Formats: sequence, C-alpha cells, structure tokens
Amino acid sequence: MFSNASNFVQGVDLTFAIILGASVFFLVTITAVMIWFVIRYNRKRNPVATQFHGNNKLEILWTIIPTLLVLVMFYFGWAGFKPMRDIPADAIPIIAHAQMWQWNFEYANGKTADSLVVPVGKAVKIDLNSRDVVHSLYIPAFRIKEDVVPGRTNRMWFIANEVDKYHIFCAEYCGDRHSNMLSKVVVLPEDEYTKWYNDTLSLASMHPGLVALKKNACITCHSLDGIKIVGPSFKGIWGRSETVVTGDQEREIIVDEAYITHSLIDPNADVVKGYNKGLMISYKEILSEQDIKDIIEYIKTLK
Amino acid sequence: MSLSIAQPISFYDSKKGLYSWIFSTDHKRIGLLYFYAISGFFLVAVALGVLMRLELIAPGKTIMEAKTYNQVFTLHGVIMIFLFLIPSVPAVFGNFFLPIMIGTDDVAFPKVNLLSWWLYVIGGLFALSTLIVGKGAADTGWTFYAPYSVRTGTNVTLAVLAAFILGFSSILTGLNFIVTIHRLRSPKMGWFQMPLFSWALYATAWIQVLATPIIGITLLMIAAERVFGLGLFDPSLGGDPILYQHLFWIYSHPAVYIMVLPAMGLISEMIPTFAKRTIFGYKAIAYSSLAIAFIGYFVWGHHMFTSGMSGPARIIFSILTFLVAVPSAIKVFNWVATLYKGSILIKTPLLFSLAFIFQFLIGGLTGLVVGALATDVHLHDTYFVVGHFHYVMFGGAGFGFFGALHYWFPKMFGKMYREKTAQTAFTFMFIGFNMLYFPMLILGIMGMPRRYYDYLPEFTTLNVISTVGSWILATGIIIMVVNLIQSARKGEKAPENPWGGTTLEWQTASPPSLHNFDREPVISPNGPYDHS
Amino acid sequence: MSEFILVNSGHNRDDEASKLGMWLFLFTELLLFGGLFLVYSIYRYLNADAFLHASYNLNVIMGTVNTVVLLTSSWTVAMSVTAMQKGNINLSVKLIYATIFFALVFLVIKFFEWSAKIEHGLFPGMEHLNQLEPGSKLFFFLYYFMTGLHGLHVIVGGIILGFVLFAIRKKRTNPGKYMFLENAALYWHLVDVIWIFLFPLFYLIH
Ligand code: HEA
Ligand code: HEA
Ligand code: HEC
Ligand code: CUA
Ligand SMILES: [Cu+2]
Repeated sequence: MFSNASNFVQGVDLTFAIILGASVFFLVTITAVMIWFVIRYNRKRNPVATQFHGNNKLEILWTIIPTLLVLVMFYFGWAGFKPMRDIPADAIPIIAHAQMWQWNFEYANGKTADSLVVPVGKAVKIDLNSRDVVHSLYIPAFRIKEDVVPGRTNRMWFIANEVDKYHIFCAEYCGDRHSNMLSKVVVLPEDEYTKWYNDTLSLASMHPGLVALKKNACITCHSLDGIKIVGPSFKGIWGRSETVVTGDQEREIIVDEAYITHSLIDPNADVVKGYNKGLMISYKEILSEQDIKDIIEYIKTLK
Repeated sequence: MSLSIAQPISFYDSKKGLYSWIFSTDHKRIGLLYFYAISGFFLVAVALGVLMRLELIAPGKTIMEAKTYNQVFTLHGVIMIFLFLIPSVPAVFGNFFLPIMIGTDDVAFPKVNLLSWWLYVIGGLFALSTLIVGKGAADTGWTFYAPYSVRTGTNVTLAVLAAFILGFSSILTGLNFIVTIHRLRSPKMGWFQMPLFSWALYATAWIQVLATPIIGITLLMIAAERVFGLGLFDPSLGGDPILYQHLFWIYSHPAVYIMVLPAMGLISEMIPTFAKRTIFGYKAIAYSSLAIAFIGYFVWGHHMFTSGMSGPARIIFSILTFLVAVPSAIKVFNWVATLYKGSILIKTPLLFSLAFIFQFLIGGLTGLVVGALATDVHLHDTYFVVGHFHYVMFGGAGFGFFGALHYWFPKMFGKMYREKTAQTAFTFMFIGFNMLYFPMLILGIMGMPRRYYDYLPEFTTLNVISTVGSWILATGIIIMVVNLIQSARKGEKAPENPWGGTTLEWQTASPPSLHNFDREPVISPNGPYDHS
Repeated sequence: MSEFILVNSGHNRDDEASKLGMWLFLFTELLLFGGLFLVYSIYRYLNADAFLHASYNLNVIMGTVNTVVLLTSSWTVAMSVTAMQKGNINLSVKLIYATIFFALVFLVIKFFEWSAKIEHGLFPGMEHLNQLEPGSKLFFFLYYFMTGLHGLHVIVGGIILGFVLFAIRKKRTNPGKYMFLENAALYWHLVDVIWIFLFPLFYLIH
C-alpha cells in the first residue's frame, strides 16, 4: 500500500493514515450534524427554542473519547519515529556539510560529492555539519528531515530500498537562495556503488582550484562567468582595482594574492563596495594553504 | 418630556476633534482606535500575501527577486502575528465590550490603556520603517532564528525592537483586563455569571502577562548581538542557536492561544444569540479556556522536533501537544450542541461562526498530524504547516474576528450593515479561503518546503489553484470592507438590541453613551445567556 | 439628565486595583530577568569551569559595596513610605532624595567597574575578550547584558522616584493618597531584589 523508498515510509504513512482517518470522521460528522441542526432548528421551522444547560454525562464522554484517541495517535507517532533514532552500528558513515547554499557529502575515504550517493538496501548514517547558519536536510521520499545546526552534530540514518533518484531539499530558511539549496539522493546497486566509491580519480582531471571552489560552495555565491549572485563574480577580478569599505573608510585596492588570502581569512574586514557584510564566513580553519594557492591560481585563469 | 432628557448622547458626540480621540481614555474610543490601526496594518499584510501568491504562481522569478520575496514573507508574518492577530480581538472587542459586558464603565487603568495603544502605534511604525531605513526590511522569517538573524545585513534590529515594543503593549492590555475583571465586575455578577467572552479574555490575559516577557528578553538579546557583537546565540562565539529556538517558542506557542482563545470567546457569544438558547456546557467552556492557557505553556517543543532534541523531550512535548487539543475539542462539541433544539436565525455573524468551526476543525486536526512525532519529521517546515496555521489563524481567529465585526457592528457604529451584501462577501471569502489554503496541505504532503521562492515544476498546478483562490478571497474581503464602510456612513439606524442578545452590551444604547449604562443593568441570576 | 453612577465604576479610586496591577507588572519584570537567569544557568551548566575562570576578573569589593548601597536605598525608600503614611511629608521627601542619591552612587560605581573592564579589552569585539575560551566569552556577554539591563532599571526607578517627588510637591501624592509612592517603592525593591540575585551569580561563584 505504501511506497517502499526507505525503511521509514511505512511507520510515517501509517501514522498519517490513522490520524487522517479520525480527522475525516470528525470533520465530516461534526460538519454534517452542524448543518443539519441549522436546517432542522431554523427559526421558521422551530420558532421556540428549548432551553437546557448541559449534560454532564455527555461532557465526560466527549472528554474521555478524544483523550483516548489522541493517546492512540501519539503512540503510532512515537512508534513510527523511534526507529529514526536507533542508528545501527554498522551503517555507512557519511558527513553532510551544509553551507549557504550548497550541500556537500564527504565519504569515509575522503571522497566528496555534491549529491548523496548511497547503495541500495544498506544502512547509511549521516552526520550533519553546518558551516554557517541553520539548514535542514530533507528527503521527502524517505520521510526524513533533521536540522543542520552550527556548533553541534545532529545525525540521521536510513536504508534506501529501491534503485532510484530522489530530491533533497533544504527545509530550514537560510537566506536568499534557500529555495535553490537542492540536491539529489542517488541510490545505486551495491556493486555500482562500490565502484563509484573507489573511483577517486575523476576529480583529478579538474583544476584543483575549481575542485576547492566547488567543494567549499564558493560558487553558490561567486559565479565564474561574470553574473552577480551574492558576492562578486570571480570572472576578471584578478589584478583589477576596486573600492572596498574598511570599517567606515572607503579605499582602493588591487586584487592580488594578499588581498584574496585576506578575503578568505577575514572576509568582513574589507567589504567590496555595494555588497553586504556578514554573509561570507571566514575560511581560516576550513581551507588549507594549498587550497588557497590553488584557488588563486584558478582565479587567475578566469579572464 | 422626561424621555428626551433621558436620551443620553453617544460616546461619539460627547467630544469632538482628533485630539479628543488620540488622547482619549474612554475604553470604547481606544477600542475603535485599535480597530482602525489594526485594519490598516491588516490590509498592508494582506496585500503582501497576495503579492507572495502572485510570485508563486509559477516556478522561477515572476514579479520579484528572491531577497524581496524573503522580506515580503517576513513582514507579512510579523504584521499578521504581532500587529494583527495578537492584539486584534482583545484590543478591539475586548476594550470596547469587556467593561460593558461585566457591567462597568471603563477598564481599571484607563490611562495605561491609552499608553498601550500608543505603544502599539509606535511599534507598528518601527516595523514599517524597516522598509525605508537602513538596508531593507528583515529577511529572517517571523521566527528570527539565530544565527541567520545575527548575520544578515538587513534591518533585523529595528524589526526586533518593534516586536519588543508591541509585546510591552500587549502585556499592559493583559494586565489591565485581569485587574478589571477582578475589581470592576458588577457586584451582582459572580464568576460563573460572566459572559464566556470575558472568560476567554481572562485566560488570554494571563498568557499575555506570563509569556510575553520571555520573548521580550529573547528579542532584546538578538538586538544586543547585532549592535554590540555579543555572541549569546552565535556558535562561532560560543552561544547555542537551539537555546534561542527554545526561548522563542516558549512565548510563541502560548501566543498562538493568545490569538485563538478570544476568538473562541466570540463564537461562544454569537452562537447562543442566534440559536436563541442558553449555551450548552457553560462551565466546560470556561474551564477549557483555562486548561488551554495552562497546558499551552508546556508544548513549545513541538516546533523543534527536528532540531536534534533528546528523545524523551520529544515524547513529552508530543504527548502534551495532543492533550492540549482535547479542551479545544470540548469547546467544538459544546458549540454544536448549543445549536440543538435552538431556534436558529441565519445571519452573517452566524455564518462566520459556522465557518469558524469548520475551518478550525481542519486547522486543529492538521495540528494533530504535526503533533505526532513520525509525521512531523516529514511535514515540519513544509507547506503543510503553512496550511495548518492559516486554517487556525485566518480560518479560525480571522473569521471569528470578521463575524464579531458584523455581530457588534450595530453597537459600535450605531448603524445596521446590509445583510445581503454581507452574505455575498462571506460566500466569496469562504470559497476563496478554502481554495487558497487546502492545496497547501497537499503540497506539504508532497514535500514542498515553506519559505521557498522557487519550486520544482511538479508543484505548479496546486500553486496555481492556490493563487486563484487568493483572488477570490480578496474579492470577498473587498466587498466586505466596502459594505461595512458604506453601512457605517449611510446604514439604517440600529436599535438597542437587533439580534435579541442577552448579555449586558445589549442593554445599552447603540452606540453606548460615554458612561455605557443609562439605567441600572439587569443581571439575570440564571447566567449570561438566559433566553427563557 | 438623571445622575446615574455605577457602584463598580472604573473611575472610582481603588487602591487595591493599583496594587494588584503593580504586582502583576513586577511579575512580568521578574519573568524578563527570569529568562536571562535561565540562559545563564544553562550556559553555566555547560561551561562551569570557564565561568569560574572568568568570574575572577570581576571586582568583588566593588560588587559588595554596590550591594550594600542598594540594600540601604531599599531601606530608605521603605522608610519614606512609612513616613508618608504617618503624615511626615518632610521626612518622606528627604528619604526619597536619599534613595535617588544611592541610585547615583550605584551607577557611578558601576561605571568605574565597566570602564576598568573595557580598559583591559574585556568588551565584546575587543582583543582580550576574543582570545578567551568560548565559555568565558559567554560569561562576559551575560555579564554586560544582565548588569546593563539592571542598570537601566536603576535609572528608570530613579526617574520614577523623581516623578513621585514632583507629585508630592503638587500635593497629588499626600498622606491620604500615597499609592504612587508605594508602587514606586515596590518597583525599587524589585530592582534591589534582582541585584541580590545578580551579585552572587557573577561575583561569588568561586
Ligand atoms: C491560532 C493559532 C494556532 C492554533 C490554535 C494552533 C493549534 C494547534 N497547533 Fe499549531 N501552529 C500555529 C498556530 C496555531 N496552532 C502556527 C502559527 C504555527 C507555525 C509557526 C511557524 O513555524 O511559523 C503552528 C505550528 C504547529 C506545529 C509545528 C509544526 C512544525 O513546524 O513542524 C505543531 C506541532 O505539533 C502544531 C500543533 C497544533 C495543535 C495540536 C493545535 C491544537 O491546539 C488544535 C486543537 C484543535 C482541534 C483538535 C480541533 C477540534 C477537534 C475536534 C472537535 C475533533 C475531535 C478531536 C480529537 C480527536 C482530539 N502547530
Ligand atoms: C493572521 C495571520 C495571517 C493571515 C490572515 C494571512 C493571510 C494570507 N497569507 Fe499568510 N502567513 C502568516 C499569517 C497570515 N497570513 C504567517 C505567520 C506566515 C509565516 C511567515 C514566515 O514564514 O515567517 C505566513 C506565510 C504565508 C505564506 C508562506 C510563505 C512561504 O513560506 O514562502 C504564504 C504563501 O502563499 C501566505 C499567503 C497568504 C495569503 C495569500 C493570505 C491572504 O489573507 C490574503 C488574502 C488576500 C486578501 C484578503 C486581499 C484583500 C485585499 C486587497 C487585495 C486590498 C489591498 C488593498 C489595499 C492595501 C489598499 N502566507
Ligand atoms: C554565502 C555567500 C558566500 C560564500 C559561500 C563565499 N563568499 Fe566570497 N564573498 C561573498 C560576499 C557577499 C562578498 C562581498 C563582500 C565582502 O567582501 O566581504 C565576497 C567577497 C569575496 C572576495 C573578494 C571579492 C572582490 O571582488 O574583492 C573573494 C576573493 C571571495 N569572496 C572568495 C571566496 C571563496 C574562495 C569562497 C569559498 C571558499 C567564498 N568566497 C565563499 C559571499 C560569499
Ligand atoms: Cu539551507 Cu535553507
Ligand atoms: Cu505551537
């Protein structure tokens, strides 16, 4: 009856069906009774009302029945939820890095990808890590969602039961491009997954600077082709002179190695005129010196 | 001759001029001042809602940029919650009718009452000024979640201060009502002879007094973070963003009951009047207000089921969430039972009350869906939640407000509204409303997250239906507003008691004179809804 | 027009109502600080050691002096209410002046305390504070926020007492009608009580 996309669909959808059933019953009955009373006891039909003040038996009845019903609902809700907390010890570990406005998935062997690739029928456990604000990893088809909170590590897990592709959304509001913070779950047959997992070479053909830009979600704010997204585009900035605001002072700078490095370590010190402070975080702890070198080399190529 | 001498002048005519209004301490005038201010803000927010729907009629950019959209839904939420729904019923109808219904001539602290109106206006201006001052209106959502609200360049500080000032205004209103009910109730009126609307206001006032300070301090902390660089909720400086969420919802969940309890009180007034019957289960309704107010304090965690809370905390919050639904159900059952064997007159206020029950049922029952742990994990922060809260807030509290506006229109403005036109407006609103919000519930189940500027193509059809619904609803609201304005100007003169109501406000002139009562009010020993 | 007056008119004088209103208001103030105490206890629970280290930077002597100053002022304002009740307006006025004087002393001491911290670079955003461990930073954030907010309350309380003086001069507050003074005094006691909690939480945790 229910889809079999993940191991949680059953529990969640069963809870939903039970509450929905009770709800439809109450909604239809109460509405029907209400309308019937309005017609039957209309002033034309029933000019004189009968006065009575209440009925204690009825009051008790309609306190107890809903109470019991909601306890049943609670029970199913809890039963459907409980397995989401019991992470199997042998689950495949993956770290999801969230950052305005991109997902990045890191595997045990250091491989990273912008979509979540998992094997079918195997438990997968995801550690959620945010580099800036609160995000939320949401896979509707699997019925799971967990917030990605900076400063703490939340966890989620699942078993994907079918070879297919599903949407990933960011479900916690995180700024301008919140609705574009999308990705995909790609469920592969076991052998294809193993092959994919062990293939760490494909990235090597890309410029290492571009890899670093992609991995750290720079390109969600800085385009490579001159279009302004949130920050200035990287195209043509090398060697350019531009106006930045330092404190309250405006000054002219030339984009060179020192400036870019400084922009990465302390982005809010010199803010490019016309842009907002506070959006770009410091990459001091995140980027290695080699990464920064690669990025600068790559930016030089964007004429 | 004695008749014409006894004909007192209405509170409108007792003094004239702008100053006699904006510095008036008369509770009826303050109620009307609130009414005008609140209606103004409501229309602004409603227009923003229509703009949002227009943007969402197709994926991708339609009429505005992503950033603008984010600012629009933030301002829409902030105005609807802090400037419309929280003050609406208590500040307008509570101020106008509470003293009359308990047989006195003003609230306990008339000057404080005026102060709270001024604070409301100042807070409102702060909120609107974010549009013009600094780097644009806040783009955080009405929840102001840290650390985004600390990082963004937009004018969050001002928006947060606006909410702080409005909170202060709300506290003063609540405090005033508690003291008024305790000290100024007519000596002949016992607690259980009070109209149920006063009971609802009493329960609400306690929430206003006890919960609002928490959000006040939380929002001040956000402001201090932005202005002085404190790091109370910013993880990069050691703070904890989840603590912010707890503090925010400790207030904001009880706040949803500030919005709906007074409206439930309105329904408990209108149904007996139009059914010409005593209310069924007076005490059950009165006590359930208190129960909702009380349990409502302990359920805030249901907004954070996916934030990484501990397992036991989730279980407790979920159970309590379910329990708080029971007193609401009791109220619904009692209202429907009141119709039984009544002699029902179908007028616009009754239609709004019936729509309230229907829509509040949908809103409340969808609340149960998100109250359950398993389903909330799936539905949290999707359009299902957006559907849920519009059903309870707009379909419930909002429709209750409009119903009461028609119910008490003769008393407040001394004129009758035009019944036919009002019923036409109602029909448009009812159809438009359900067409606007029901698709959102389905969108949520399909997985569309909220606060989304852009969406996947498969969500298009339902979004289009929803947008068209917003136009029908808008048509209805426009008809209603035009009808009420014209009736207030040129309507037929209203008699003292057009509906045959039994509560004390119907024993005063329409509109009442400055000191409300021109003769000693008669208080029935059989309770406020004595139709025999 | 026939005069018709309700027994329960809102325009009757009702001291009970003012008192009830004031207590409710004080309650909201307590909750305001209650929220902060909650934040404080949670962060202290999570960072017990760091809070301890940071608290060594506070000057216990100045804190103690300030506690004594506030307690004395609470006493003077209470005496002032009694004096008013007994009809001794002159004494009552003098005691209010004394209370305001103590409020100023409190603020001056607070000013020196804060300036000393700021000179050491212990203010949000400053060099020294940035180098502290996260827990100690939180301690200082809370220190500034809570004592700052309390300081604001001292200022407001002082201003209210100023208004009371004015009302006494205009004879609107007098031995037969002293609710304003009594409520102002209640407010002042609240300011005092909050400090009684702040003092040990920040200065005396070791
Ligand atoms: C007027 C405002 C109002 C009211 C009255 C309610 C009422 C309820 N709300 Fe709602 N809620 C909001 C306004 C309101 N809510 C808002 C604004 C949000 C979103 C905030 C945000 O994130 O921006 C929200 C979000 C929200 C969530 C979080 C969803 C999420 O983000 O994941 C939850 C979860 O438990 C919830 C539950 C409930 C419940 C159980 C009730 C109950 O009180 C409902 C009780 C009523 C009934 C049950 C109907 C009567 C039923 C019968 C007569 C039938 C028989 C009944 C039984 C069998 C019990 N609400
Ligand atoms: C009482 C509360 C209330 C009310 C009445 C409404 C009313 C409406 N809301 Fe609501 N809404 C909220 C409270 C409310 N909203 C809150 C709290 C949020 C959450 C915000 C957040 O996420 O932070 C929200 C979020 C929200 C969203 C989700 C945004 C998102 O997550 O991306 C949407 C989307 O469609 C929406 C639409 C609407 C519409 C179309 C209306 C309809 O009312 C509009 C109907 C239109 C009319 C009735 C128009 C009538 C009049 C005119 C057109 C004339 C105007 C004329 C002049 C100004 C002169 N709202
Ligand atoms: C959340 C959005 C965001 C992300 C992610 C981001 N930046 Fe930025 N960046 C900005 C903004 C906004 C500015 C302009 C304001 C400023 O200078 O701080 C900027 C400025 C810069 C500048 C200075 C540009 C100029 O024209 O002077 C450089 C260089 C830079 N970023 C590099 C990077 C790199 C490399 C990364 C990834 C490792 C990155 N940014 C990630 C938003 C972002
Ligand atoms: Cu990331 Cu929303
Ligand atoms: Cu809630």
